[in-house]
Amino acid sequence: MKKFMKVVFVLSIAAFLFAGCAPKATLPAACTSDAAGCAVFTSGQTVKIGMGAPMTGGNASYGIDISQGATIAIADAGDVKGWKFALDAEDDQGAAEGGAAVANKFVSDPAIVAVAGHIFSGATAAAVPIYEKAGIPMLSPSATNPVLTTTGSKVFNRIAFSDLMQGPGAADYLYTTLKVKNLALLHDGTDYGKGLADIVSKQFAKDGGTVVDEEAITPGETDYTAVLSSVASKSPDALYFGGYTAEGAIIANEMKQTGLEKAIFFGDDGTYGADFLTRTGSNGEGAYASIAPVSPDSPAKDKFNAAYKAQFGKEAGSLSPYTWAGYDSAAALASVIKSVAFVDGGKLYIPRTALITAVRNLKGYVGLSGTFTCQSNGECNTGSPQFVIVKSGAWVPADKQ
Amino acid sequence: MHHSPTKSIARKAVIAIMTADIPHDLKKKGNQLLKLIRPLLGGIVGLFLIYRLYVILIVEHPYGPDTWTRLLIAGLILGGVYSLIAIGYTLVYGILFMINFAHGDVMMLGAFGGYFVFEALNALKVGIDAKSNFLNVYPYYSIIIAFIVGMTVAALTGYFLEKIAYRPLRKAPRLVPLISAIGASIFLENAVELLFSPQLRNYTNPDILHRGSGWTIVINHSNVIVPYTGVFSFLLSAILLVIVYTIVRKTRLGRAMRAVALDKKTAALMGVDVDSTISQTFILSGALAGAAGVMFGIHNGLIYYYTGFIPGIKAFTAAVLGGIGNLPGAMLGGMFLGIVESVGPAALGIDFQLKDVLAFVILILVLIFKPSGLLGESLAEEKL
Repeated sequence: MKKFMKVVFVLSIAAFLFAGCAPKATLPAACTSDAAGCAVFTSGQTVKIGMGAPMTGGNASYGIDISQGATIAIADAGDVKGWKFALDAEDDQGAAEGGAAVANKFVSDPAIVAVAGHIFSGATAAAVPIYEKAGIPMLSPSATNPVLTTTGSKVFNRIAFSDLMQGPGAADYLYTTLKVKNLALLHDGTDYGKGLADIVSKQFAKDGGTVVDEEAITPGETDYTAVLSSVASKSPDALYFGGYTAEGAIIANEMKQTGLEKAIFFGDDGTYGADFLTRTGSNGEGAYASIAPVSPDSPAKDKFNAAYKAQFGKEAGSLSPYTWAGYDSAAALASVIKSVAFVDGGKLYIPRTALITAVRNLKGYVGLSGTFTCQSNGECNTGSPQFVIVKSGAWVPADKQ
Repeated sequence: MHHSPTKSIARKAVIAIMTADIPHDLKKKGNQLLKLIRPLLGGIVGLFLIYRLYVILIVEHPYGPDTWTRLLIAGLILGGVYSLIAIGYTLVYGILFMINFAHGDVMMLGAFGGYFVFEALNALKVGIDAKSNFLNVYPYYSIIIAFIVGMTVAALTGYFLEKIAYRPLRKAPRLVPLISAIGASIFLENAVELLFSPQLRNYTNPDILHRGSGWTIVINHSNVIVPYTGVFSFLLSAILLVIVYTIVRKTRLGRAMRAVALDKKTAALMGVDVDSTISQTFILSGALAGAAGVMFGIHNGLIYYYTGFIPGIKAFTAAVLGGIGNLPGAMLGGMFLGIVESVGPAALGIDFQLKDVLAFVILILVLIFKPSGLLGESLAEEKL
């Protein structure tokens, strides 16, 4: 009996081995020739676009807002040859560890063909190499750190403007328009915050201004009065902060009790949004932020704004400056997917390398937040920032005050 | 947010320190060498600190008296909160010889208790004016209610924590309750995250305690603001410290606590109810943490499920610095740590991001030259 079991065991192993050699269902030529293969969908499956975003924590408004914009884009995108689109937005907490975790989750899901993200630069930097290996193209609506497009990545693209535009723009605005002579800088030590503060510092010095102090803070704390007192002793005209809302709002509050009450708080696209207003109240009055380039008003934008208000109960753009970019990145990816997908034998095939090339070749795409043409490094937006100021509890364009 | 790695690293470090066990023979051989090297290294670092102080304070003096005053105010307020939490660590350590690692999270629960009271009272309309609500019509009552609720929530948490997580392990080796405490800390954080969502919450203060406003003193032609919330926190922690000291020194409960700290068995034979004394100790330490939590919320304004962890670690450091198990030591350690954190980086001319490094360097220096902490772990007779 024992011997019999052995034979059965050996035979079944052999059967498995031969099964591996059996000819597979023949793939279309476009898939066999594609280096990364095809994503295959049988009827009834959905084609997924991923998004890694901070959905919880102090900067959650960014992830919630941008994913809501993308949700509307997915609904507007209709279907690709009968297959439906779906958005898979996962929480990466805006941090590098979270970004890598979400990316690993996405690459293990064969239905994810592209990623509209990630949202924060640190999380994006950690995620890029993972998508690079798996052959999944990215189109970030909001990761602005300049380094991201200099690594030679084939998969990373962004419709966000680069901090190489934002930083010098902000420095020039501070020096020329606001007539700031002495500038102090604070940053949160992240890829994004420190990178931006360094760029601003350099450009401001080049403009002829004096950088009186540059300090780093520890993100996640709630008491920065000590460091602000030390900054105050250098009596700057303005304080530039490179970082996100969570710390930005605390700093704007505590500036009023540390001798910086006369200095201007100047934030970035990461400190803009409704959360900043509710957390600072009257202390936030007169605070500046630089945000994504003006998006031209258009019927399509009005339609989106109405849909956003109806679906989520808030004005589009009140939570973060990237509502429209969130829509655009998901919508642009959907349109590119449509252009490369094909049906063969009742199945939908999306060749992955062809999709990567097609995203990089995006040309003259007209979105809600601008018209995008990707350059060979994945930079699809060359706009300059606009500046906003808090007036009577609302963000308004600074030049119209 | 950005904390998960720091959190787990800090926890691992604590476990590593607690479990570090050098083989006996190695210890003996190394002892002679260590005896020389440690004070030497400590001396070098100490001398360097003094040199930096000299350079900054005497040679460069980049800050005026207004800045020093501001830094000192920030330090005193921070020190008050640290002291209150540190007392909780020390009380429990004095009796059970265990580190209640979840103490910071008990503080966080207290902060949430106060938060919900303020929110509820803010929504409660009083009188004919549509804008008037309980919070601003009766601000003093509101603050008292918030503290009572916050302290009660935290005290109950402390009570049940001991009952569920520590009491069954009282006879186990010292490491076991520590691990259980770390588990309790993770449990409390995640429970709050799931219950109240991970969003940051904004403390709604009554108008009389508006954050950021305060008395103005003009020093060096510059307005130095002494925030109301800060003065309030500082005074309240001073009062609570005096009350705790009186309880431990002068009351029946205090005597029972000291007896249990001295010798559990003998105390039981003399008719002291050991279990109930330990429970009451946890209630007392929890209530203090709760008060610290509400104070933290009122002064700092933003709370979430992770709020308690860092102050907890810092207060633990403060307790060790002052000599764990020693009440005045914990108060002194807390104040010292708060002031070092805010004044230290400026006085040494280093980046403010390094304030934690500085705090821990000083902790190590103190432990090298006085391993029992600043005031020394009191002998059993004087413990508590």
